[in-house]
Amino acid sequence: MTGLRIDRNQCVGCGICAKTCAFGALEIKEKKAEANDNCALCGMCVDVCPFQAISIEKEEQQADRTYRDVWVFAELTGDRLAPVVRELLGAGRKLADQKGCRLAAALIGGGNAFREAELISLGADVVYFCRDEKLADKREEPYTAVLKQMVERYRPEIFLFGATAFGRSLAPRLAARLQTGLTADCTGLSVEEENGLLRQTRPAFGGNLMATILCPARRPQMATVRPGVMPPAQADTGRSGIVREVPLPEFPERIKGIKRVPLPPAKSIADAEILVVAGRGIGSRKNLSLVTEFASLIGAEYGCSRPLVDGGWCEYPHQVGQTGCSVAPKLLISLGVSGAIQHLAGISRAETIVAVNTDPHAPIFSVSRYAVVGDCVEILKEWIRMLKCR
Amino acid sequence: MREILTFQPEYAEYLRDESRKTGRADSISFPETEEEVRGILRQVCAAGVPVTIQGGRTGLAAAAVPFGGHILNLSRMNRVLGIRQEDGSFFVRVQPGLALLELRKGLEKKNFDTEGWREEERQAFVEFCRAPEQFFPTDPTETSATLGGMAACNASGARSFRYGAARNYIQALRLVLTDGDVLSLRRGQCLAEGRRFSLVTEGGRRIYVELPTYQMPETKNASGYYAAEAMDAVDFIVGSDGTLGVMTELELKLLPLPPVIWGVSCFFETENQAVAFVKRLRKSGAEPAAIEYFDGGALEILRLQKKRSTAFSALPDVEDWAAACVYAEIHCGEEEEALKHLYEIGRELTASGGREEATWVARNDRDREQLQFFRHAVPESVNMQIDERRKVDPVITKLAADMSVPDSCLSQVVALYREGLTRCGLESATWGHIGNNHLHVNILPRDGEDYRKGKELYREWAKKVTAMGGAVSAEHGVGKLKADYLTVMYGKEHIREMAMAKKAFDPAFLLGRGNLFAPDVLGEEEG
Amino acid sequence: MKIIVCIKQVPSSNEVRLDPVTKTIVRDGKQSVINPFDAYAIEEAVRLKETCGGAVTALSMGIPATERLLRDAMSRGVDEAVLLSDRVFAGSDTLATSYALSLGVRKLGPFSLILCGKMAVDGDTAQIGPELAEMLGIPHVTEVNRILSVTEEEAVVEKQADGFLETLSVKLPALLTVSKDINMPRLPSIAGIRYSEKGPFRLLGAADVGADPERAGLSGSPTQVVKTETPRREQECTYLEGTQAEQAAAVLDLLREVRR
Repeated sequence: MTGLRIDRNQCVGCGICAKTCAFGALEIKEKKAEANDNCALCGMCVDVCPFQAISIEKEEQQADRTYRDVWVFAELTGDRLAPVVRELLGAGRKLADQKGCRLAAALIGGGNAFREAELISLGADVVYFCRDEKLADKREEPYTAVLKQMVERYRPEIFLFGATAFGRSLAPRLAARLQTGLTADCTGLSVEEENGLLRQTRPAFGGNLMATILCPARRPQMATVRPGVMPPAQADTGRSGIVREVPLPEFPERIKGIKRVPLPPAKSIADAEILVVAGRGIGSRKNLSLVTEFASLIGAEYGCSRPLVDGGWCEYPHQVGQTGCSVAPKLLISLGVSGAIQHLAGISRAETIVAVNTDPHAPIFSVSRYAVVGDCVEILKEWIRMLKCR
Repeated sequence: MREILTFQPEYAEYLRDESRKTGRADSISFPETEEEVRGILRQVCAAGVPVTIQGGRTGLAAAAVPFGGHILNLSRMNRVLGIRQEDGSFFVRVQPGLALLELRKGLEKKNFDTEGWREEERQAFVEFCRAPEQFFPTDPTETSATLGGMAACNASGARSFRYGAARNYIQALRLVLTDGDVLSLRRGQCLAEGRRFSLVTEGGRRIYVELPTYQMPETKNASGYYAAEAMDAVDFIVGSDGTLGVMTELELKLLPLPPVIWGVSCFFETENQAVAFVKRLRKSGAEPAAIEYFDGGALEILRLQKKRSTAFSALPDVEDWAAACVYAEIHCGEEEEALKHLYEIGRELTASGGREEATWVARNDRDREQLQFFRHAVPESVNMQIDERRKVDPVITKLAADMSVPDSCLSQVVALYREGLTRCGLESATWGHIGNNHLHVNILPRDGEDYRKGKELYREWAKKVTAMGGAVSAEHGVGKLKADYLTVMYGKEHIREMAMAKKAFDPAFLLGRGNLFAPDVLGEEEG
Repeated sequence: MKIIVCIKQVPSSNEVRLDPVTKTIVRDGKQSVINPFDAYAIEEAVRLKETCGGAVTALSMGIPATERLLRDAMSRGVDEAVLLSDRVFAGSDTLATSYALSLGVRKLGPFSLILCGKMAVDGDTAQIGPELAEMLGIPHVTEVNRILSVTEEEAVVEKQADGFLETLSVKLPALLTVSKDINMPRLPSIAGIRYSEKGPFRLLGAADVGADPERAGLSGSPTQVVKTETPRREQECTYLEGTQAEQAAAVLDLLREVRR
């Protein structure tokens, strides 16, 4: 029987599970926990029970052992490999070596998408490809049809996609067609020692929880992998591999492209993932150009503290703080900002703050994860030099 | 000891506050403990140097703008010192530099740094964690205000309609005097005999205070010293605008947070409909905790800034026909009851000429944040517009009224404002706590001439509002900007009485120079 | 035009805190709310209805208490609501959830458009939309930030993806997931709340929609969460040491780390 099981011998009725449950599904009756209809089998209570009294039971099914090999989806941007593909090959290579199987790449594209040699140099042992002008535009339904055919014929055990906008749209469509499990936006991948299953780690609840997910019985085990996390594979042009073509299957064409234009990168600082914020410590208006240069080198947006806007150095849309814009970047690099309370309120949702300031007691350091005591202009020059050398 | 720093250009921001006035100073300090405050005051005051006390510098009356001398900035005295439980209520002890938003965060997350707390306070904290969520009811719009600043001006906010101003929630305080001695006051322990206090400092000095003899208006009021027969000494310090001593510790009373808090913004085609609605609402069974107002001018500026600035792009659209908006807040124990109140509000607004379709109701955090953002955006967008104009003509500042009148005079005062603005041809935006007949009429001068006309108009309003039995400053405090309106309100004789009371605490008139007392009055006293 | 909006109940806050006394995780998302991204889908559906005519149905799978949120959707302009709720559905991963929703959609009869939020803020998977479209055999477009036109046969939409702004035409019926740039969701009015209190609401169990227990809930979910943990966050500030160049290099290393 599938469901939540509470071991009445272990349960002491402490109520921690009931307090933890976000669904109000657990109640303490006669000093024992009981689950009601609200239970979503989310498993939170299993983890928090100090007495190991709660478990989720599920009938074990056997995986089909004819599925082998680790695959990555070789997403293209135009006719070139998307940057995330190198990272997938880097991660996939490690998994394949650990499992003692082959690493393969699935390549789909228009008539000029010849990337087999590059994929092999980056670590693929096999490249399955399907090339046709009908596949020049990345569309979910045609690609799903091609990939389904590849998977059914060559049976991968693990299939990784980049968690790009297209990857996150295509992979679930394919997973549903194959009726298998898919883990979104993974930041960690490893192989379980005892059974060889893929351990997929991903942030949930906006990064406040890390979840580890397995797909024990269905094949392939599919995951999308967050770009920029895995170390990219290094090219070795001496490598050799096998290349196999897969014929073009039938598919519906229900989506047509009308127009496609490159986007200007301008974004609001409120949505920035990485934000560089300058304060009065930047010294002069002309030093602001160092800030914008540094920001563009690392793909960040830039903001400033209020005195810079008041002084007319910077426009209001860049003002960070309670009277400007509240921001929530993953990384905030604060340069020469002392940290008035209004400013600190506006950056309180930033995940990691690195601050540079000459005053070791500046309030900004009280909310920072890392502190650099020094002149931010000098550090900026150092960064720009380093980034340009890379 | 924390050092007294010579004033350097890098401290320029400490010469200003949200009033956007700039002052001057010779030195500044950032103490972290009461002991440090005492040392600094002893040193500075002995040398006869005036001292201006600062918190979050969010005040609108320039009370924190220095008038020369020393700046005592308390923003680093921002710790929560302990918690206490008595008769089911919780009391939290804080340093004056703690920002309201930090206090709120701690209360909501039930997360305080308990290091250094006494054992019984740690016990009380465990009880606090188990108890239903608590809140501090005073809710000024600017949440980076410090508790010390809020006590100094007896702050209030939208919810003061139900809960009253900050003074009701200040249970005890410690006040450091200019000689470094400390006065420790607890509510209920020191009452005036008639209009006379006799207070004893921790150093054993006795202070006699003769209270001013004026009758305070029976409206929301933050104008001058609080003075009444048999009053509590705590109430005399609260609202004294940093002119008597330095508050180094405050004990705040908390209330259990109502389980259901809903907000509703109602839009009207005319100001008269909105005023009629407010009058009905006050008498209705909906029992709102707050009644706020935004006039057509305020809505228009909001529409404009929303188009111009990405910072406000997340604001919901206000339809073009809307010329007035009333916001009401429902605090209830249960949703069913809240729904009854909401429908009651619906009926009252229909009866006042509004429509139930033209409302925004916030029943969850996300929607509440939206409405909060909307309410906050109004003053922000007005400030942005003023800043743009200042770039052209630096003389221009916003002119903001903060006057209140008794309930019976609501229509009369709205008509007074409207007539004056029209007569002088001034651009304006009005918002505020209409439930308490307390509106912030903001004149937006286009040039120096407008600015002059606006100042004249305020002086005229100050007289008429006083005649209605109202107050010239209902919540922002008097500070430096409204000292002369205070003279209009009380007259020179009473101001002299206030100065005498101040002298009992601060004989050399060193604290908060320029606050409450217009320079000429002060000059007479000194002479 | 018939439009279906899929919504999910999520905790109002993603914050996870430790109980100061028991030191256990308290996930008191005090109040459940409609997934914020779904609010944009609701608003877009209601706007389409207001311009093209038709009706909007909100569909959710969840615990019985989700009714409250479906009624909340009605206060914002949705005409009727359907909740799939059954112990059989408990423990669903994205595949099993999509399966249940696909049965719910079939039960509702012919439709032109399904709108979903681009993802749910609790799970962040963004998988339900594409999986549901696949199970219904209809095309899908993710992260739509503008619907330019809709007829009975096709919709023309705009999406931003991987650095490009694309305009696409898609044959109907189709499923679209919408980004938060698409509109500014309205707040409910008192009139809307009055409607939502009495508006048509249906509760459907697994048997009502003909769910195969093997494909639903925990049994029908290929993935399993085996562990959840709160990532440790050091609150203390670390002062970086070394030469200026070393400090600068250390910060640049963080750049890669935060993308994790």
